[in-house]
Parts: sequence; structure tokens; C-alpha cells
Amino acid sequence: MTANKVIPLNAVPEAETETNVAEAGASSRPILQVEGVDKVYGNGTVALKGAGLTVKQGEFVSLLGPSGCGKSTLLRIMAGLGEVTTGTVKWWEQDYDVVGSKGRKLAFVFQNATLMPWARVRKNVRLPLDLEHVSSSESEKKVDDALEMVGLKGFDESFPRELSGGMQMRASIARAMVTEPDLLLMDEPFGALDEMTRNKLNDDVLKLRKENGWTIVFVTHSVYEAVYLSSRVVVMAARPGRIVDDIKIDKPYPRSPDFRISTEFAGYCRQVSQALERASGMGESKEDC
Amino acid sequence: MSTPLIRNERFVQIAAPLLVGVLVLLLWQISVMAFDVPKYLVPSPVDIAESLVKDFSSLFGALLMTLKVTFLAFVIAVVAGVAASLLFVQSKWIEVSLFPYAVLMQVTPVVAIAPLIIIWVDDTTWALTICAVIVAIFPIISNTTLGLRSVDPNLLSMFRMYRTSRWQELVRLRIPGALPYFFGGLRISSGLALIGAVVAEFVAGTGGAKAGLAYMILQSGYNLQIPKMFAALILITLTGIILFAAMVWMSDRALRNWHESALKVEH
Ligand SMILES: Nc1ncnc2c1ncn2[C@@H]1O[C@H](COP(=O)(O)OP(=O)(O)O)[C@@H](O)[C@H]1O
Ligand SMILES: [Mg+2]
Repeated sequence: MTANKVIPLNAVPEAETETNVAEAGASSRPILQVEGVDKVYGNGTVALKGAGLTVKQGEFVSLLGPSGCGKSTLLRIMAGLGEVTTGTVKWWEQDYDVVGSKGRKLAFVFQNATLMPWARVRKNVRLPLDLEHVSSSESEKKVDDALEMVGLKGFDESFPRELSGGMQMRASIARAMVTEPDLLLMDEPFGALDEMTRNKLNDDVLKLRKENGWTIVFVTHSVYEAVYLSSRVVVMAARPGRIVDDIKIDKPYPRSPDFRISTEFAGYCRQVSQALERASGMGESKEDC
Repeated sequence: MSTPLIRNERFVQIAAPLLVGVLVLLLWQISVMAFDVPKYLVPSPVDIAESLVKDFSSLFGALLMTLKVTFLAFVIAVVAGVAASLLFVQSKWIEVSLFPYAVLMQVTPVVAIAPLIIIWVDDTTWALTICAVIVAIFPIISNTTLGLRSVDPNLLSMFRMYRTSRWQELVRLRIPGALPYFFGGLRISSGLALIGAVVAEFVAGTGGAKAGLAYMILQSGYNLQIPKMFAALILITLTGIILFAAMVWMSDRALRNWHESALKVEH
């Protein structure tokens, strides 16, 4: 994957200035680079204008912004689920289309657990492996490991509707895990859950990230969640959707719930909130978000 | 387990309508007797029961004939309807081009085209079957098509991310998701197959060895055998109810693990 290094000149400075963001030991190699991306939907909505973002291996990047600012759009583009109108997306420093979908090892976690209601948990979690025609002996082992890691051991024969919202989300995370992705994209994964469950799952995500060495892009509308989880918080503004701020959270992992009640945490939250407020004021329309 | 029967939901569900039925029959019997209504105007329930027993052999033969047409039509409607739906979801173009004709078939009254079909198709059984198929197929097509299209867009995105073939997408995602819609169509269609069979037979007026229940009704009407007419009517109704119940049972069994329609909700 080292051949074919095509880095446009204007991307070089950015790539060089952002080391030490991720935790110690994380390489600074960019997994994903979004450069000057515009996205105009068929109905004329300009969802993104000049969006640029580099995600490096080992980073935990949160996307934060008022609703409708294009967070999901950006994430879908990162996943190769939507065409860009202009701009480029690179995967391991190669053009996205050149790499092809087969070369991109990524997984997506949606806001809803998005499980197949007719299939048992085991079958749901195994789905990506089935779709990739992985042999069943190999996939069974991976599924067992994933279920154990997310704390769903013993629920493999349940149907999704027999699980609580938090457990369904765990199954959804297990499903994302089984393919051992280089990059995990999560779109407001815990937005629909109560705060207790959400906090618990946040800690679990951090733990799983450490164990599996995940690089994560995480969309959220919660300032606290963003600060608690991320090594970087990227703030977006709406109309047109663009990136307006990029805040490092210089707190080493592992992070414990103590971090949530520290003054350091409060300081970051204030900083991010202010950035978010500025971003909300930047929109061309005057409505309050 | 010591709950009184009246609090048992299942018991009430069966007992309540049964009670109403018995009361209506009683009232019917009493009124007919009290006002001395002649048999050829309104037969009493007892008269009808007598006729059921007395004319059993001719009625039963007719029932078999009607059942044959109904089942044949139902099976063809299901197979052809599902095939059409699968074709429709392959491309919007196919659906846009063909769906109007499915609607056309649905809105054309079967009594209006039955004579034509009976002229064109020599074999009466097949002629009747074709009429019944025309009546029964539309709910299957429209429901199944709707179901095959109603996929969770996020799940679809996921399948696309794992570069799934259309075949896999169909088998793993669209078909299982369409089952509740399909079974909904099945319930309606089973009844329509029976109605189609009976209506077509009315139009055809086939007698002799191939006479079905509709012919029994026609003939009993001419002969003023009104109790027999009612008996035939009862057989048709019973068939419809049994068909419907069978469909409900099937769909409950198929969906009981996951779909809202088949779940036992505890309050
Ligand atoms: N499929 C689509 N077609 C047209 N407009 C869309 C579509 N998806 C999103 N949009 C519009 O694009 C903008 C950004 O949407 P989205 O990315 O979902 O924002 P966010 O996730 O930040 O709430 C919104 O104005 C939304 O209405
Ligand atoms: Mg969104």
C-alpha cells in the first residue's frame, strides 16, 4: 500500500503539523483524507462546501455541529456511500476510486442499531462476514469473540426485539467489529439512548478501541460525549456545511469516568461549546439551532 | 392458571362471537316458526341443516369442484404474483411500464371478462381458474412489491458497503423484509380466489359433472329449493373462513419471532 503515494502540495502542511494528537504509539499515517469536497444533492441542497478533513491512524475524531450541517453526509462520503460533487477522498493516501471498495476496510455504525429484525443476534453480527463469503468456521469464531467483547455473550440466539436499546447497539457494534476494520465510522450511535446507557457505552467504546486499535470518526451532537471520547473534535457549521474548527483534546488515554468530573474536562467542554456557538451563528440563515 | 374463563382472552375471542351466532340462529328459528314463514321464502336453520344432510353428496361434489378452482387459482396467483413483484423490483422501468396493466386487470370487473375467457378457453375448469386468478392476483403483486421495496435504507447502505450482489441483497434483505407484506396479501388473495371462482361459475353456469357451488345456488333458486341454496351458501362461507384462518395461522407461524403482527403482547 506504500506505492502510489499521491499527495497534493496543499495537503502536505496539514499532514505534517498534526502529530502527537493521538495517543502514544499511534502512527501518524493518514487513513482517510477528504479534500475540498462539495456535495450538492439532487434537489439543490448544498450539504457540504469545501469540506476537508484528514483522519490519521489511531485518532478518535468527533464531528460536532448543528443539525443539518452535513455531518451524516460527510460520514457517508467517507464510507463511499455517496458520490462527491467535487473534491477528492483518499484512502491510505490513494485515490478512493483507485483503491476500490474491496481495498477499504471500514465499518459503519448507524444511529439506530439497524439490525435485521427477522434474524437472531448471531446471524446479524455475522452478516458482514457472510456477505464477504468468509468460511463459516472462521466467522463463527469471530462472531463469538465480538459478542464476548461487547458483553452480549449468551444473547446470540435472541432476536433483536428481545434486547434493550443499549444491547441492540452493542450488537450493532459487534457487527462492525467482525470485519476488523481499519476505520470505524459512527453516526450518532448513542443518540437515542438514555444518559446512563450512553456513558456506559462510551466507556466500552474506549475500551474496545484500545483493545482493537481502532481509528474512529464519531458523529455526535453532545459536547460532553465528543470531549470525553475524542482526541480531536471537529466542529462544523451549516448552510453550507463546512468545517470551521478543529480542537485537540490533549488528554491521554485511557480515560476514566474521573475525567468527566475534572476541571480539565470542563475547560474543554467550554472551549468546544463556544466553538459550536460560533459555528451556529455562522449559518447564512438567522434561525437559532 | 386459576383465572376465571371470562378473563381468558382466547376463550373470550372464541366464545363471544359463538354466543352471538347461536343467539341469531335461535332468534331466526323462533321467528320463522312464530310467523309461519314458508320454507321457499326463508328456511329455518333446521331446514337448512336437513338439506345439508339430505343433499350432502351433490353439495359435497360441488364443493370439491369449487375448491379445486379456488386452490388452483390461489396457487397460480401466488406464484405469478410473486414472480411479477420480483420482476418489478429489478428496475423502476419495468415497474413503471407494467404496473398499470396489473391495475387494469384489477379494476376490470371479472363478470365482464368472464364470458370472453369462457369462450376462448375450452376447458371449463381452466376458464374458471383464469377468472379467479385475475381477481386474486393483485393483492399479491401490490403487497409483495411494496414489501420488497420497503427496506431499511441504512441496512441497504450496509449491504452496498460490503459490495453485495443484487441476488444477495434480494435473498438476505428484501425477501425476508417483504414477508409480512406478502402474508398480508395472502390473506386478502385467498378470499378473492374463492370469490373469483364462484363469480366465474355464476357467469359460466356450468352444470353437469363440473358443477360447483355457484351452480348449486343457481339451480336451487330455479327449483325453489331455498334450504339447499342456503346450504350451498354456508359451504362457500365456511370455505372462505377456513382459508382465511389458515392464512392467519401460516403468517403467525412464519413471523412469530420478530414481526409486530404476530407477537403476543403482554400488558
Ligand atoms: N438524500 C438527501 N437528499 C437531499 N437532501 C439531503 C439528503 N440527505 C441530507 N440532505 C440535506 O443535506 C443537509 C445535511 O444533511 P445531514 O448530512 O443529514 O446533516 P446532519 O447529519 O449534520 O444533521 C440537510 O440540509 C439535509 O436536509
Ligand atoms: Mg445526521
